[in-house]
Amino acid sequence: MSGKAGLRGRGVLADLVLVVYFLLSLAPVVFIVALSLKSNAEQTSTYLRFTPTLDNYRAVLGIGAGESAYLRFFLASLICAVGAVLVSLVIGVPAAYAAARFRFRGSEGLLFTLLSFRFAPELVVIIPLGVLYQQLGLYDTYVGMIWALQLVTMPLVVWILRSFFQDLPPDLEQAALLDGYSRRQAFVKTVLPLVRPGVAAVCLLAFIFAWNNFILPFTLTSSEAQTVTVSSLAFLGGNQVRFNLVAAGAVMAVLPPLVLALFIQRYLVRGLSFGAVKS
Amino acid sequence: MAALELAGIRKTYGRTVALDEATFDVRDGEFFCLLGPSGAGKTTTLKVAAGLAEPSVGVVRLDGVDVTDVEPTRRDLAMCFESYALYPQHNVFDNLAFPLRSPRRRMPAERTRQRILDITTLLGIDHLLDRPVTQLSNGQRQRVALGRVLVRPASAYLLDEPLSHLDARLRASMRAELKAISGEDGTTTLYVTHDYVEALSLADRIGVLDAGRIRQIGTPREVWSEPADTVVARSFGKPAINLVDGAIAAAGGVLTFVSTDGALRLPVPGLRTSPGVRAQLGIRPRDLGLLRGAGDLPSSLVCFDAAIYVLEHLGRQTEVTVRVGAALLSLVVPREVADGHVLDDKVVVTFDPAAAHVFLPDDGGRRVVR
Repeated sequence: MSGKAGLRGRGVLADLVLVVYFLLSLAPVVFIVALSLKSNAEQTSTYLRFTPTLDNYRAVLGIGAGESAYLRFFLASLICAVGAVLVSLVIGVPAAYAAARFRFRGSEGLLFTLLSFRFAPELVVIIPLGVLYQQLGLYDTYVGMIWALQLVTMPLVVWILRSFFQDLPPDLEQAALLDGYSRRQAFVKTVLPLVRPGVAAVCLLAFIFAWNNFILPFTLTSSEAQTVTVSSLAFLGGNQVRFNLVAAGAVMAVLPPLVLALFIQRYLVRGLSFGAVKS
Repeated sequence: MAALELAGIRKTYGRTVALDEATFDVRDGEFFCLLGPSGAGKTTTLKVAAGLAEPSVGVVRLDGVDVTDVEPTRRDLAMCFESYALYPQHNVFDNLAFPLRSPRRRMPAERTRQRILDITTLLGIDHLLDRPVTQLSNGQRQRVALGRVLVRPASAYLLDEPLSHLDARLRASMRAELKAISGEDGTTTLYVTHDYVEALSLADRIGVLDAGRIRQIGTPREVWSEPADTVVARSFGKPAINLVDGAIAAAGGVLTFVSTDGALRLPVPGLRTSPGVRAQLGIRPRDLGLLRGAGDLPSSLVCFDAAIYVLEHLGRQTEVTVRVGAALLSLVVPREVADGHVLDDKVVVTFDPAAAHVFLPDDGGRRVVR
């Protein structure tokens, strides 16, 4: 049983590395949460010893002190991100399936073009896109924002789901075809349920990417459709720099992706549906 | 029920030719076996018949009607996949019910239930109905896959190695069961296998497929006793047929097979070929015998000297490999005949020349007719 002992020895070291990594990656989170609980006076002068206060949250949410645009921006973020994910799913799921199962003229080129949206920096297209949006009347609208954000999410959906579809043996759909189902019914009844974990994972990922995007809403919106990522800038302008307010806004802005991640987690367990097919 | 016909089917994947001019028909109610090694194009043939693969050239007909461009859904065929292709999200019952609940069939729930019970009882999987298919053994999955085919009426059944993953005992009983089922309801069946015993025992007719080409089509008796060429001859029997290289000579006006080193000479009268051609002599292991003692040799038998090379005792029978000159021959004899022999013993091998086949290696291994 020396092999087992050796494994265990390596386990301790691996655990240690993991703990260090965990602390390191947790540090910024701790820092932001702490900052969001500090008063103006303490925000730049203290580290972990301070008197916690919820004033920053009150200020950001506008509780007891006039109005706040934060919730509106929050809602705008939600609408834009969810919209982009939905558009990407409606178009991307069939596209990914087609890309996985059929070879048609230009299919590889099309997929590559789609992927190139991801590795071309957004800054390259942002100025022409801004001009176009101004002229088309899409500037500072939800439709415009969703359209822009799906450029970020669509490639993710198509490329990730494509590999999920490719992992499924075509025999399943073929069996359904012979069992008397149309191509569409075969897809909905046999294939789609099996890629559900993939769809869940890609939804989460796409949502996070859309939610966190800064540069697109920064240049393509001004007030109406402005998102929460951009709105934090307001706390840094003018005659005072309120890092503690930015932090409070950021902490709250993390919640939706976090909640979604917790909710979707159980669908992320893959493998459960695979195995009924001889490989 | 329907007759299924494939005419001149050619199927290529890129530069690979999977099927080359495959032509055969499965008659109404017939049980037709396609036999071939893996990679011969058996599954491709089934997929072309089912409409899941489009032939590059050729026509598929069902009851004389060209269905080459008809969607698989509308061909009314049932297929058992080699990969089982069970729906992993469903349990056994729902897998079997899937074709019955399809929009094309819409069988009422009560009849569906009855039908499934009948079939699963027959296949011995009725105790597994509530089990997710992911929790079944391979043998059980294979029976569910077979059940999903048999559960519904169809114009024809397409079965891709449906017994390959059952253990030996179960396979034998399922083979008998399948034969009973097919004899009973007489559904046209195209059955693909690499197991010649399955083919011989189940089929009304057998098509031997090799490297995308159909080498011979015939009844089990025909493909066994009149193989078209060496490929077909080697496809049946275990140990495989002995093939000895040599040539045809004219000895005293009678055509005679002479092995390359001259150690084996066999007159084969009536052979329709000419002296001087290269030839291969084919003798099945069970047509050979070992001579014990003297004086008990029937006049119809030929004999020649050999030396024991390998002895394998397999229960009541013994597989013996003997050396005749440079050639090795396998034979199967009853245990008591081989007992007492040791390696390198000089023995006399007997056989009936009527059971010998002569093939022409320069003519694609074609068998010479007598």
